[in-house]
Amino acid sequence: MAGAVLTPDTPTRPGGMGRAVSDAALHDPLGRRWWIAFAAASSLLALFFGVILYLLFTGIGIWNNNNAVVWALDIASYDWWIGIACGSLALAGTLRLAGAPSGGTFGRGALSRLAEANALLCTIAAGLYPIVHLGRPWFFYWNLPYPNTLGLWPQFRSPLVWDAIDIVSFLVVTVSLWYIGLLPDLATLRDRAFAEARAKSEAAGRPRRWPMLKAQAYGVAAAGWRGSASHWQLWHQAYRIVALLGILLVVSLQTGASVMLAGSVLPGWHDTILPVAFLVNAVFSGVAVVTALAMLVRALYRLESVITEAHAEILARILLGLGLASLYGYATELLSGFLHGDAFARATLVRRFTGPQAWAAWTVLTCALLPVHLFWWARLRRSPLALALVGGLVAVGAYADHVMVLVVTLSHDFLPSSALDYRVGLWGVATFAGSVGLFLVLLLLFLRALPVATLSDLRQAGAADGAARPGAEAEAPGPGTPLWGVSAEFATQASLAAAMRVLARRYPHHGDRPVRGNAVRLDAFGPMPMPDALKGLGRRNRSILPYALGAALGGGAAFYGMCVYATAYGYVLDVGGRPRFSWPAFVVPSVSFAMMSGTLAVHAVFLFLNRLPRLNHPAFNIPGFGYATQDRYFLVAEARGPDFDAARIARQLDALPEGDGRPLAIARVPR
Amino acid sequence: MAQLFSPGADALLRLAVLSGAALIAGGAVVVAGIVRSDYVTGVGIAPAQPVPFSHKHHSGELGIDCRYCHTTVETQASAGLPPTETCMTCHSQIWTGSDMLKPVRDSYASGEPLRWTRLNKLPQYVAYNHSVHVTKGIGCSTCHGDVTTMQMTFRANAFEMRFCLDCHQAPERWVRTPDQVWNMNWSPPPNQATLGPELVARNHIHGGDRLLECGICHR
Repeated sequence: MAGAVLTPDTPTRPGGMGRAVSDAALHDPLGRRWWIAFAAASSLLALFFGVILYLLFTGIGIWNNNNAVVWALDIASYDWWIGIACGSLALAGTLRLAGAPSGGTFGRGALSRLAEANALLCTIAAGLYPIVHLGRPWFFYWNLPYPNTLGLWPQFRSPLVWDAIDIVSFLVVTVSLWYIGLLPDLATLRDRAFAEARAKSEAAGRPRRWPMLKAQAYGVAAAGWRGSASHWQLWHQAYRIVALLGILLVVSLQTGASVMLAGSVLPGWHDTILPVAFLVNAVFSGVAVVTALAMLVRALYRLESVITEAHAEILARILLGLGLASLYGYATELLSGFLHGDAFARATLVRRFTGPQAWAAWTVLTCALLPVHLFWWARLRRSPLALALVGGLVAVGAYADHVMVLVVTLSHDFLPSSALDYRVGLWGVATFAGSVGLFLVLLLLFLRALPVATLSDLRQAGAADGAARPGAEAEAPGPGTPLWGVSAEFATQASLAAAMRVLARRYPHHGDRPVRGNAVRLDAFGPMPMPDALKGLGRRNRSILPYALGAALGGGAAFYGMCVYATAYGYVLDVGGRPRFSWPAFVVPSVSFAMMSGTLAVHAVFLFLNRLPRLNHPAFNIPGFGYATQDRYFLVAEARGPDFDAARIARQLDALPEGDGRPLAIARVPR
Repeated sequence: MAQLFSPGADALLRLAVLSGAALIAGGAVVVAGIVRSDYVTGVGIAPAQPVPFSHKHHSGELGIDCRYCHTTVETQASAGLPPTETCMTCHSQIWTGSDMLKPVRDSYASGEPLRWTRLNKLPQYVAYNHSVHVTKGIGCSTCHGDVTTMQMTFRANAFEMRFCLDCHQAPERWVRTPDQVWNMNWSPPPNQATLGPELVARNHIHGGDRLLECGICHR
């Protein structure tokens, strides 16, 4: 399975590497294997629905939960899924913020889509647990603040409410990050599917309905993305802001989960290392699952040139580092427990290794903590098989960790009389298997229909060389046709930027609009962010950061204010003597809500400022515009008034030196 | 390159998005409206009874005291539904041949109680006590409405939890002097703002925090 390592001088043209990835999305290369896997996953999903029905009918006793062990596989599974989701989101966010878009050795494009998708799918799998583990799941909405006839507020001091807000926020942020990254790629698929549909229609001599519908489905999903320079500018900002909000949410959620446990009096949940340990273990499990997934996808789709050995190497190093950090967390917990913990906490630590659930602790050790040490050897760091196996084992170990932390503490607290043993039951396992089925069904649908790597990142890998293909030929629009503008096609961003600089000097702009007296509005279109063209346009100063910041701070403050109002004034309830103003309890849901508000604002502003969705747009009339989402760049001078002189602009463009601004083709574009 | 979507596609997309949003928002409003409607809560709907007993006639026009029939309202959790014998104290003497009262006489003869259709239902997990409310100054009409105007009796309030909590949060707005408890058309007197807190203190009603504890009603 040795893959070719990409070096900077490997000749790749923009879209070259991405071509294989978008091919896999448009023409499923797995064939029957996909269907077999899908059938198996669907049967697991059917099992899930069966279990849920039985659960609704019978109650959560089917999981062997009892009066002492109120949380067992249900919450362990939830924590496991959301932990993996957190890890994947943290990885995706870090790649977005810190990673190079692509490059000779390690480009984020190969991994970020998988990490984003994994975060989303695991969140969906996790999202059902908080609902079904309620005694009366059909009243799940009682957890949300809505105008009700009970005259009650949700109890904002309760972790149950934190969970509800967390999971909703997490879902919004993961969907958002995934979708923002996907937008330009969906446009690529739209344009490729449209070209194929037209080719098929031409071959058949009649319009082919299904290929056209497929292209239109991608088109609606792409929301009319045209790859305009200003689209890309805001896209880049939106992507990074949501990535940052996601990372903050991960920190809030995992430390919040630890604080939830520490909010109880039970032994073994109070060490101060735990918030950090929870975060580390979550990121560990998430990175492990993304690693295993990446290696699987690499083998299945033969993407050795996309997911390279350099990726494997770095993932292995990250796993090793996280494994060591995780080990440090466990060791510290044991050490401080035995140094100065109370007798009950010490007893809990001992029971983890000797009690009826000792299998869990030993699984953590053998599956999560030890295998990563294989990666001290360079050869194994580059072995996709080793990475996939270790990734899978770490996931198993992470599950055992959640069982250990929850069940060992709950099954024996302070009183002998409240010690109740717990044994893993068939229905608990079946529920978990069902949720795996849900994950797999969604994963297979994702693999089938969408690109597994971020095409826009991959495109930035190659040197700036377009395909050796002439510019698109076009018939000039008839004399009566209203003119939208003049377009020029380029093979590289550099020559586009050169032409843009020249034209922008002649037709000055202010912000997004031409200045008064100038009848030409300039814009650029291309398959990746175009900072040079933007510089020419003088449009670099637009930012959606203030909106995001305002919405996050405003949303968080508003939620916090609601918690304070509800708890201290709206409905004063004495919960175990806690003060009316229980301020620390409101921090976790408020932070989650802030991240959600920021994300929603980013989306709204991104779409509004870019005037999207816009399915039908004159830009699509540009000859060969389908390649603007693949490997070509277009400069457009839009007519904005009666003084617009198309012939003059064409002359000006044609006069530019070859290789430094002269377009491959110039066309008049009808409205 | 040609257009993948016709010029009308954008209008359709916007229509679809707006309709979806309107459907979700409108759906929520409709569901909330249905849940609160009299159709669901039964407010103002008088069901058929075995005997068309009129509170307006007996209590309003004849002036029979509530406690003549609902005898345990001051001493027990339940106000008490009168046995047939209570009806027969009068109706063994007047309207003895009335067809309307035949079920009452049959019940008296057979010993089989009349089966009234219940109006004011509380869930079994709500522990409600009439005597404590009545003796601390909460009048009948606060919950049951002015029954002296009801020809056929109907439910006057929905008895949603919010209804109970309104009073438990601010009992001083509703509490009455003992002589006003049985007044069926009581409305807060002009000095309720000063009288209320006084009565609350005199009757040892711990409004606010204490009356909002879950265990006050859900034992």
